Amino acid sequence: MDKYLDVRFERVEKALASLIDSIAKYNPSEKLAEDLATADKELARGLKELERHQNNYARIQQLRDETAALDAQTKEIIGTLWTMRKEVRNTQTTSYSSTAPKYQFDTADLLRYARRISRNTLPPPGVTNGIEPAAAAASPPAPAEAAPASPARGGTLTPSASFNNGPAAAPTPSANGANEPPSQATVSSSATELPVHLKPMVNLHDGAVFFPWPGEDKIRSGALASYQALSDRGVDPRGYDPEEEEARRAEEERAKKEAEEAARMEREEAERRMREERERMARDRERARQEAERRGSVAVGGGVAPPKSQFTFLDGLDDDDDD
Amino acid sequence: MASEPMSVGSSAMDPPVPPSTGELKYGGFTRFELELEFVQSLANPQYLNHLASRKLLTNPSFVAYLDYLQYWNRPPYLKYLTYPGPTLKNLQLLQQEKFRQDIISPDLVQALIVEGMRAGVEWHREG
Repeated sequence: MDKYLDVRFERVEKALASLIDSIAKYNPSEKLAEDLATADKELARGLKELERHQNNYARIQQLRDETAALDAQTKEIIGTLWTMRKEVRNTQTTSYSSTAPKYQFDTADLLRYARRISRNTLPPPGVTNGIEPAAAAASPPAPAEAAPASPARGGTLTPSASFNNGPAAAPTPSANGANEPPSQATVSSSATELPVHLKPMVNLHDGAVFFPWPGEDKIRSGALASYQALSDRGVDPRGYDPEEEEARRAEEERAKKEAEEAARMEREEAERRMREERERMARDRERARQEAERRGSVAVGGGVAPPKSQFTFLDGLDDDDDD
Repeated sequence: MASEPMSVGSSAMDPPVPPSTGELKYGGFTRFELELEFVQSLANPQYLNHLASRKLLTNPSFVAYLDYLQYWNRPPYLKYLTYPGPTLKNLQLLQQEKFRQDIISPDLVQALIVEGMRAGVEWHREG
C-alpha cells in the first residue's frame, strides 16, 4: 500500500517540480500543467484506495475479534457441558427399568390414594415450619434470621397475610423490621382485623410444625407398642387375640350368670314347694284336730254325724264296742 | 349379643366386626398390620436413631428383615402406605451399610429432620 502511494506521490512531485522548472525558465508548457493535473487526480484516486484499504483492514480486525470471542464462548460451553455430564453421571438415581412389570390402576384408585396421603404430604395452609415464602429466594440472610425468630411467627403467615408480607419483606432484609411496616399497614388499612398481638391466639395453626412422617406419639400409640405391652406383661402375643379373649370371657361370664340364675330359680322352686308341702301338712293337722274335737262333742251330745266325705285317721279310735 | 348389628347392645356407630378368617393374630393385629406400621415408622429419623442406639441395625438378621421389607415398594402393597415418600426413601437408605452406621449420630438425625420439614413445605412451591 505504501509503495502504491509513494509512486503516486513521486509522480506528483516530479510533475510539480518540472512545471515549476519550466515556469522558472519562462517556458510554461500546458503539457506540464496537464501532467500535474493528471498526477494530482492519480493521487486522489490513490488516497481513496488507501481509505478503502484501511476500512477493509479495520473490518478484518473486527471480524477476527468476533471469531475469537465466539471460539472462546464455544470452548467455555463445551467445558461446562463436560463437567455437567460428569456430575449427572455420578448422581445416585433410582433407575426405572423398562423391563419391570407394569401394574394397572385406575383414576378412582389414584384419587382415593391421593386423598389419603394428602394429609401427610402437604402442610395445612398457614403452616410453614418457619420457612419464609418470598424472602427465602430474595435474601439469604433473611431466612437465617427468620428461622430462629419465627417458629412463632411462621404460623401467622396465612396466605392472605403472606401476600402482604411478601412484597414488604423482600426490600427489608431484617426480619424484625419486616414485622413493623406490614403490621402497621394492615392495621391502618382495615379496621375490622384483629390487632396484631391478638392474631396468634385466634390462629389454630399458630406455631404448628408439619412433619411428613409419623410422630413419636403416633408410634407409641400404635400396634407395635401394644404388642410390646403384651409381651412385657408376659403374654405371648403370637396367636393371642385380645378381642377374642374378651369375647370368650364375656361368654363365660354370661354362661356363669345364667347358670347361677337357673340355680337360684331351682332353689326358689324347691323352697316354694317345701313351703307348700308344710302348709298342706299343717292344714291337714289342723283339720284332724278339729275332727277330733267334733268327734268328742258327738260322743257327749250325740250331735251331728261327721260328714261322710271326711276321712279322718281317727276312725280306728272309734270305739263301737262298748255295750 | 353385642357384636351383632341392629341389636340393643351395639351402637350404630361401631364398624362391623370382620369375620375371623382363622388367620394367626399377633396380639390382636395381623402380621400385615404390624409390618405396615413398622415400615412407616421408619420414615421418622428419630425412630431410626432409636433403632441404631438399640444396636439393632448391626444385627444381620435385622438387616435381612429390612431387605425383605422392600416388598412395600411394589403394588399391591404400595397403595397401603400413607407416608410413602419418606418411608420408601428411608427404606432405600437403610439398605446401605454406611447409612446404618451414620444414623447413630444425632447431628445427622437433626439434619434429616430439618431437611424433611423444609422439603415438606417447599416441594410443591413454584419457583
